[in-house]
Amino acid sequence: MKNTYSLTVLRKRLFAYFCLLAVLILVIIIRLFFVEVVNSNTLQQKAIDQWTRELPVKAKRGNILSSDGKILATSADSFAVFVRTRSVKDSQKVSQILGELFGVDSQSLQQKIDKKATSEITVKRQVTKNEIIKLTDYNLDGVYYSVDNKRVYPYDEMLCSVLGYTTVDGLGQGGLEKYYNKYLAGIDGEILYEADLLGSDLSSKTPTFIPSVNGLDVVLTIDYEIQLIVESALNKVMHEYTPKGAAAVVLNPQNGQILAMANLPSYDLNNVPRDDIESLNSLSRNGLVVDSYEPGSTFKMVTALANIEESLNGNLNAKPLNYVYNSSRYRQVAGGKIKCWSDHKNGKHQNQTLQEALNNSCNPCFTDIALSLGTETFYKYIKSLNFGKVTGVDFLGEASGMLIPETAVKEGDLARIGFGQSVAVTPLQLAAAASACINGGLYYTPKLVKEIKTSDGKVVEIMKPSTAKRVASKKASQILAEYLENVVTNGSGKQCYIEGYKVGGKTGTAQKFVDGKIAQGKYVMSFVGFFPSNAPKYLCLVTVDEPIGGNYGSTVAAPVVYDIFTNVISAKSIAKQ
Amino acid sequence: MKKFKLSGDIFIPITVVGLAIFGIVAVYSASNYVAEIDYNNKFYYAIKQSMGLFVGLAIMLFTANIDYRKFFGKGIYLYFGGIILLILCFIPFISVEVYGAKRWINLGFFTIQPSEIAKFCYIFFVAEYFATDPSRARSFKGVIIPILTGVLVCLLIVTEPNMSITVCVGLLMLSMLFLAGMRVKHFLMILLPAIALIPVLIVIEPYRLKRLSAFLNPWENPKGEGYQLLQSLYGLGSGGLFGVGLFNSRQKYRFLPFSESDFILSVIGEETGFFGTLLLFLAMGFLIYRGIRTAKGCDNFYGYLLSMGITTIYAIQVLINALVVTGSIPPTGLPLPLISAGNTSIMVFMGAFGTLYNISKNQEEPILHNKPKNKPKKINKIFKKFAYNN
Repeated sequence: MKNTYSLTVLRKRLFAYFCLLAVLILVIIIRLFFVEVVNSNTLQQKAIDQWTRELPVKAKRGNILSSDGKILATSADSFAVFVRTRSVKDSQKVSQILGELFGVDSQSLQQKIDKKATSEITVKRQVTKNEIIKLTDYNLDGVYYSVDNKRVYPYDEMLCSVLGYTTVDGLGQGGLEKYYNKYLAGIDGEILYEADLLGSDLSSKTPTFIPSVNGLDVVLTIDYEIQLIVESALNKVMHEYTPKGAAAVVLNPQNGQILAMANLPSYDLNNVPRDDIESLNSLSRNGLVVDSYEPGSTFKMVTALANIEESLNGNLNAKPLNYVYNSSRYRQVAGGKIKCWSDHKNGKHQNQTLQEALNNSCNPCFTDIALSLGTETFYKYIKSLNFGKVTGVDFLGEASGMLIPETAVKEGDLARIGFGQSVAVTPLQLAAAASACINGGLYYTPKLVKEIKTSDGKVVEIMKPSTAKRVASKKASQILAEYLENVVTNGSGKQCYIEGYKVGGKTGTAQKFVDGKIAQGKYVMSFVGFFPSNAPKYLCLVTVDEPIGGNYGSTVAAPVVYDIFTNVISAKSIAKQ
Repeated sequence: MKKFKLSGDIFIPITVVGLAIFGIVAVYSASNYVAEIDYNNKFYYAIKQSMGLFVGLAIMLFTANIDYRKFFGKGIYLYFGGIILLILCFIPFISVEVYGAKRWINLGFFTIQPSEIAKFCYIFFVAEYFATDPSRARSFKGVIIPILTGVLVCLLIVTEPNMSITVCVGLLMLSMLFLAGMRVKHFLMILLPAIALIPVLIVIEPYRLKRLSAFLNPWENPKGEGYQLLQSLYGLGSGGLFGVGLFNSRQKYRFLPFSESDFILSVIGEETGFFGTLLLFLAMGFLIYRGIRTAKGCDNFYGYLLSMGITTIYAIQVLINALVVTGSIPPTGLPLPLISAGNTSIMVFMGAFGTLYNISKNQEEPILHNKPKNKPKKINKIFKKFAYNN
């Protein structure tokens, strides 16, 4: 019988079917175990992310203080007001009240709320506490506020190129605000609202508050009084000579701390020209640190120091201190002619010693020294004074200047470097090197920040004072300091002479290069001054870029240093010696 | 005097009612937030589902007390009744279109989903067809009618379109043919073309291809095609071993679409954890087991196939739903029977389980229970013994 069959077939099939279903159920249970238990953590983490809406609680950004405790940058308590479109019940009322309180266009706000295109609308930022108190009286549905921070600079333009600025969101964007952002910023907190997919709050759940951690205060080495003095002195020179710019840095030669630092023209930190990127970039530029220039005669300090030290050490290539230099205006070097800025007529620059060469700032004498010492010896001093590399100051974007590599130096280059040409330095580099030349021969890395404190005054971190590096003997340095005091008393630095205070200094006039060629009539005037010369406490470098009228560092820059020093003396009540 | 004895497999109605009541709790939990917003009544879906449960209970009481053998001979009417209901889906004014699919018909006071009913009609028809002459299963000619009628149901449902129910009916057809004793040779002859048809079905509807790629890598487009699957997994994953507690689901706050219907298992997993879902699957597995046991204890071929048909359609839907929710197969919308919100589904399934219970009550001389000690009985002879063909 073809079409009949035993029941065993059915029994087997039923059993097979039963097994198939059992296996499938087992597979599902195993699969459930994997999804629900094994992968639980990763899946849950992702799920939690979508369950909450965060409102930021801005950490209060730390203050920036001067070394004498003046607040240079601070954060005012302010608030940001938000509307969560999904939670608004009466959009007309909400937008009308917000319009009245914050001066926003209530009609367009209502449209935005009704459209619900975004779940969150920022109504206004940097709202004051009083306005918030008024807002809370209305108890509006769907309106929220959170702590926001407004950066305030109590002294407007003061120290602007050093302090830098923040973004609207309070993130350091330039200068020290950026360099020390990690200390200043603090840690933002959050208010976590439990919400549904569309962003409506769940009234049954209470929001979680994660508090913010305030930022730390940064204490600068900058002395408020000296900074003020420096900026007003620069303002005067800007007014008198209408140069492209003027800049000054005051250092403590005994430890490298920067007491004042200013670049003019400046801008108001409370009104940063964010819309005009080009002018913001040029105004906020701290040229003392990030730009290089050809130093000219101020660099002769370095040449002189090298010669004095080598001669004291008995190096026969060095000129003895009483050596009388050739009186000619010219030097023939490697087929080229180097001449002095002076015409050497009528007995000028005749039979000079090193002291007199410094007084007169006579170029050929320093050419003689450089060539006589030779590249190896001269470069030893140049390099140990950190030319050609960054000083390591705590500021972003420091330039390293330009120094011809030792192996590539030709005779003509060496001769020019002797009086500050064929070399480019940043003003800060020069000031730090000049400090080492006259402070007893120790090089200190310049520093802008002294310490980091909490908002209640507890010191968290003291910035390590830079370790001194010996570049010359104390004696050589003392001799140079005396020479430079003489430059001020009797030589080209006379305009910086202050009676009763041992002021030393060196002038500098450097030609500017445009497109690799000397630009006629364009100069950077500079002067390095320091006092008291036997134990220097203040060193000041002033540069004036393209002044109109006044062709030498001695006529333009030296009076600025004089202005600064006399005011510092009276402000700090420094007694005559 | 006959001693009072509760006849039949009482575990079947107990488990069914238990699952359905649990379903109402789950539906309430999964839907209360959305119901509050959309209908201003957080019990909206729960009440609707409870009504389904009460009507379903009435139907179950009714079918449990009708001797299932009375259906014998009416299979052909049931089948065409089901087909007519399916055709009604395509008639304007009666049909209700949702998301571009015509799956419902409006009875004025009530909408029903004909495909839920038609699949049971088909079971009654096929069971009767083979019970009339079991030898039909052994010849190719004999299985043509169940196949063609099954394909017709599938075609009508796939045109709605409703791919998932179509797949279920297809699998139901294959299962019943297999369980009726169809020759393996014939079985493969229809199984292989059916498998070959799958790629074709995927390619003709481009959205299926997208769904397939979303299934293979849901993270590629977590806000788009991969969204539903990921949200389902987030829910299950948030449950862990013991769950976040009943009513505490966070995914139901609109994150998980269809949380009260096709993806209710995800919410159950989130709230009760692995142990909750394990218990649920043990209960559902137990119900399937009792269904198979009932089939095995049948004293006739009609009861055997009928109970296996009912058990099979339940099992298929449970398995496919769970595989979708756990991301094991590409997503397709299919309710979890007895649990998911859906009135037609719960009423029809409860009615069917009433019949299953009735089958379990009428078992005198099981044909499959033990190996016959004597020579193998021929099924034709045994069949002759049954006298329900009034």
